[in-house]
Amino acid sequence: MAGIAIASAPLYAHAKIYISVDQAQKLIFPNKQFTKYPVVLTEDIQDKMQSASSVSHPFKGDRTWKASDGSWFIIDEVVGKHEMITYAVGISSNGTVQSIEIMEYVESYGYEVAEEGWRKQFIGKGADDAIKLKKDIQNISGATLSCKHLTDGIKRIMVMYDLALKPKAK
Amino acid sequence: MIRCKPLLGTYVEISAEIGSINMTSFELDEVINKSFSAIKLVQDLMGFHHPDSELSKINILAHTKVLEIHPWTFEVLRIAKEIHKASSGIFDCGVGSRLVEAGLLPNHQIASTQAWGGLADLILEKPNLMSSMRPIQIDLGGIAKGFAVDKAVEILKSATIESGLVNAGGDMRVFGAQSQELLIRSPANPKELLSIGSLKDGAVASTSLYYSDAANSQSRSPIVNPMTMEQIEFTDSYSVIAPRCIYADALTKILAITKNSTHPCFAEFSAHAIRI
Repeated sequence: MAGIAIASAPLYAHAKIYISVDQAQKLIFPNKQFTKYPVVLTEDIQDKMQSASSVSHPFKGDRTWKASDGSWFIIDEVVGKHEMITYAVGISSNGTVQSIEIMEYVESYGYEVAEEGWRKQFIGKGADDAIKLKKDIQNISGATLSCKHLTDGIKRIMVMYDLALKPKAK
Repeated sequence: MIRCKPLLGTYVEISAEIGSINMTSFELDEVINKSFSAIKLVQDLMGFHHPDSELSKINILAHTKVLEIHPWTFEVLRIAKEIHKASSGIFDCGVGSRLVEAGLLPNHQIASTQAWGGLADLILEKPNLMSSMRPIQIDLGGIAKGFAVDKAVEILKSATIESGLVNAGGDMRVFGAQSQELLIRSPANPKELLSIGSLKDGAVASTSLYYSDAANSQSRSPIVNPMTMEQIEFTDSYSVIAPRCIYADALTKILAITKNSTHPCFAEFSAHAIRI
């Protein structure tokens, strides 16, 4: 039978690193070579991406890679009220989502600052910081966090694919 | 190796340690992929949200004819009925209609005023045949996540992974020699985590309303008391420890509804209830 010993000491929710960019790429497309392919989006496309997905933070076009067969590997973030999640999505050459991997999960509560300010606290954080935090944070129960924001993020990427990345119909 | 994917409406983590066994990192990736695929299959079969899921087919057709269903769906319904019986009806997945009315689940059917049936109306016949005596709106949201965790763990274990963990948004199971520290989000202060000890070879599930919107006049509580068909409100956090996650998951509903951590159901399924 499962046993448990009761103890209590307050800890605080922080961060987890799952996999690196390289690992995510190999997991989603095990046998493909990708080349970095930065994406520059017009204001019109950015507006369309926002209205289709309700994701308002700007898309960073410098974390996109392309394979010779037309597959794409893209990294983006979900910025929620309580969480920031970095994820990788693979789009196969036929334009469908191949797979999604969460790379990093940072959780924060109670910051009474504007969203942009909240995000800035993570800029420049290296892997060492997060690994240090990871030791404290392992197995949280009672934390059913909805992945709706991520679903919106994927929607935004697929809109971008349709408008900017997809090969033009002949 | 620890990975995370969006599944079952939440974030699912799978962690696997190969220990001393002989396995390449590519083989380990494949095992974890298979484990995630099992969870995806549970989502595809038993999701109320998907109009094409097997559960949606059951909700539309089971009162009109006998259906042949996937063995996993059959297993979840069988255990749901078992817990329904043991709890004298306190656990009942036939509450989907209330959750549709509350806007928490999508409406796939033409609005109807008929009296909906529940788990007591389901007739299960081996092998994998089922029907219902009355029209039903079964929602497996209170049990299928735990089952998915168990299936994912089974795949890791059958691949001889030494120890591991599957956590589907707080419904989790651990296996192997190492015990895992267990944290529960404090209901009074969600940014605070309480260590409640460590867990070895077992499962835990929790339920609480941390993320519900208090400003909204309509209840966001996903837990319905099947006796009254009313959504229940609570401020505590309810957790259940059990050998298998399907039982931990389902039994949290009995704890949230009865608020009785010594309900005989827990002992019957070798479980412990924790109220914080």
